[in-house]
Amino acid sequence: MAYDIEEVRRKYIGFETAKTRGRYPVEHDPIRRHCHMVEDNNPLFIDPEHEGGALCPPSGWLAHYFASLGPWPAVFEPLFPVVPTPGKRIVNMSQEVEWSAHIKVGDHLSVVRRIADVFQKGITIDPEAVWIVAEAIITNQRDEEVCVVRNTLLIHRTPEEVAAANANP
Amino acid sequence: MKRQQVYWDEVAVGDELPEISLDINVKRLFLQASGAQDWYPVHFDPAFARKAGHEDVFMNTGFVQAALVRLITDWMGDAGFLKRLAFEMRRQYRPGDTMVCRGKVTAKKEADGAALVFLDVWAENDREGIATPGEATIILPRTPAGGG
Repeated sequence: MAYDIEEVRRKYIGFETAKTRGRYPVEHDPIRRHCHMVEDNNPLFIDPEHEGGALCPPSGWLAHYFASLGPWPAVFEPLFPVVPTPGKRIVNMSQEVEWSAHIKVGDHLSVVRRIADVFQKGITIDPEAVWIVAEAIITNQRDEEVCVVRNTLLIHRTPEEVAAANANP
Repeated sequence: MKRQQVYWDEVAVGDELPEISLDINVKRLFLQASGAQDWYPVHFDPAFARKAGHEDVFMNTGFVQAALVRLITDWMGDAGFLKRLAFEMRRQYRPGDTMVCRGKVTAKKEADGAALVFLDVWAENDREGIATPGEATIILPRTPAGGG
């Protein structure tokens, strides 16, 4: 059956998940590892004794990590609600994060995910690539919004999948 | 240890942020997987990445964002607040690249009692130039009464 982008748009734009709570509170060690990958030695983030410290770096990625269940043990909790797409390969094309408050070690975050837009726009390797704009509204244990993370995701087929589809239209 | 603080009054349009530079190599791929907890193979398995049409594995959004956040937070000091960061992943950083993050002040204004500074921030590599254009808005403290 042909992929119907208009039907997908009608069904999924505006779709919102129930609020889910992160597996663990915000912890020092994931912050330390996150800082290590980019050689970030900011004592605000990695030194618990630093005045005003024990902050989580203002990374939407890290906020989303703490608000989620994490990759292991595996639990079915997709980054965004499963929108039907011709392909399964994902590339994050852009991200925007708006912050309302600091996140601190000990906070316990939750997230509501929302599909803001879905559209089809071909790329060089896949003329039927689908783009999804997904929002994550992240709150703390006092139900205060700390940030909104907005990702634009490109979902495409592999060249082999495109060739196979063209051979068997 | 007190760190140097940047004050809104002392910032001028055109000021540049001190750049940061990160070598992208195999060790960095491991650090990325550990630090971002992103186990999507396109970021560490070359065969998987090539099958998807990419030339090689490439660094993920969490890594690129962490580098831009470091650029900004290193410069703005403990009392600064990152209000907004937006960036586009237009090109990739692959093993063998050196990723350099830079930024400059584009505007400043006061709004609703907040002293705002607007930045262009970006990351680049030698192969393709600016691979990640972005912009940020931060809130800085005003110079303390009696001088900064």
